[in-house]
Amino acid sequence: MDEQLPERLAVDLDDGFTELVRVHSAAVRTFLFRVSGSATDADDLGQETFLRAYAALRGYELQRRRELRPRAWLMTIAANVWRNHVRTNVRRPVSTTPVEDACQAWPDTAPGPEERVATAEDRVRLVSALTELPENPRIAVVLRHVVGLSYGEIAEARRCPVGTVKAQVSRGIDSLRQLLDAKAPPTREVLR
Amino acid sequence: MRPDDEGPLPSAPELEKALAALASPAPADFRLRVLRRAGIARDRYDSYVRVDTDAGGLYVAFGPHAVTGAMLETMVTGPDGFEELHRSRTRRTAIRATTPFPGLRTAVRTGRAKNLAIDMGHVGTEQRAVLDAVRTVPKGQLRPVSWIAREAGLDRERGERERGERECEGGDIIGRALAANPAVLLIPCHRITGEDGTPCDAAYPPGTGEALRATEGIDMTRLAELARRGAFLLGSATTHIYCHPTCAHARRITPRHQRPFHNASEARQAGYRACRSCRPLTA
Repeated sequence: MDEQLPERLAVDLDDGFTELVRVHSAAVRTFLFRVSGSATDADDLGQETFLRAYAALRGYELQRRRELRPRAWLMTIAANVWRNHVRTNVRRPVSTTPVEDACQAWPDTAPGPEERVATAEDRVRLVSALTELPENPRIAVVLRHVVGLSYGEIAEARRCPVGTVKAQVSRGIDSLRQLLDAKAPPTREVLR
Repeated sequence: MRPDDEGPLPSAPELEKALAALASPAPADFRLRVLRRAGIARDRYDSYVRVDTDAGGLYVAFGPHAVTGAMLETMVTGPDGFEELHRSRTRRTAIRATTPFPGLRTAVRTGRAKNLAIDMGHVGTEQRAVLDAVRTVPKGQLRPVSWIAREAGLDRERGERERGERECEGGDIIGRALAANPAVLLIPCHRITGEDGTPCDAAYPPGTGEALRATEGIDMTRLAELARRGAFLLGSATTHIYCHPTCAHARRITPRHQRPFHNASEARQAGYRACRSCRPLTA
């Protein structure tokens, strides 16, 4: 499918764009959800990302559309949209958005209620730890491990060498582990 | 209390697994909202919904004016599989929506989809005629292939050819049309049988046709019993009218007035005329 997508964008933009949305919008939204920590922001920024993508595609030459690598390209736009959003919010701060994580989808191998509470707690801690990472490692970690891009694709999306991406991901994971340790609930020590 | 007693720091692979589990599905209509925001015209793409039927979930794709395709959940591998197949058949992208096509839910619930607008896409004129004929078969009734051939006008067009060749070719066209049914269940292929009364469920996965016929109240064991006795038509001794055995009028004939017939000429010789509702073939 991905091999045909750029060709279809070149042949018929509206048709290619609907296919682009169908194939890639879930990944874009996941990325924005996990870097921003808010489902509403992810919905708004996701729409904004595709609006920009559409405007950009309309201005592109046919040849440029043909050579497009859609996923990495969309992630570049999404990261920029999110960065702009953060900067606007810093300049005009609104109420702090709470970290949301709708755990609507439980895994199918349903664990007991106690374990479920434990996994939900772990999830919440992980999600809030993610939003405490600095911007660059956060983007790199989410792209690599949540969305599942390859290092090469991330390097292309972030316009930096592959080595830099690998370092960012590795450092991001390290800081996440530190943050999670700091956040570990005190009950564990009490029980021991 | 807590299950994780492995140590203070979670290991990197565990952390990566936990991160991968954070990939959450987008809201069902997120893609549709994106397209609307970008200002893509509604007729450039199809939407689709999943509706519950007696034979499991049914994905139904539709444009602004008509249903463009339908497939049972058991026929595809998840929503993505349906999107891909719809794309390859119609050359149109299907986007998940939350509101179904007007009248779709009613049509599925009642089994009466005759008046639902269906765009069959790129099918030949003969196949289209066959599928249109299939759509006229009422809920709870069965029709043989020869009836479809007549309703679709397949026997008229080939008037000059040999009868045997014609029948074989007509059956071929019907078989292919049924197998290529673009809107499974909405075009009720499960109501078509061969000349011997066995259903030709070409478009359905195994077991689906049986389930659909059972919920429509078609008593297949009774029909098999009739067919075994060679009764493919049923006449009423009081009115002297003969019907297909599943016709609403035939079902009202009391057992002592039921007159089974092999074929139309036998019924005609006995002085019976054809029912004007189910229109069986005349001799």
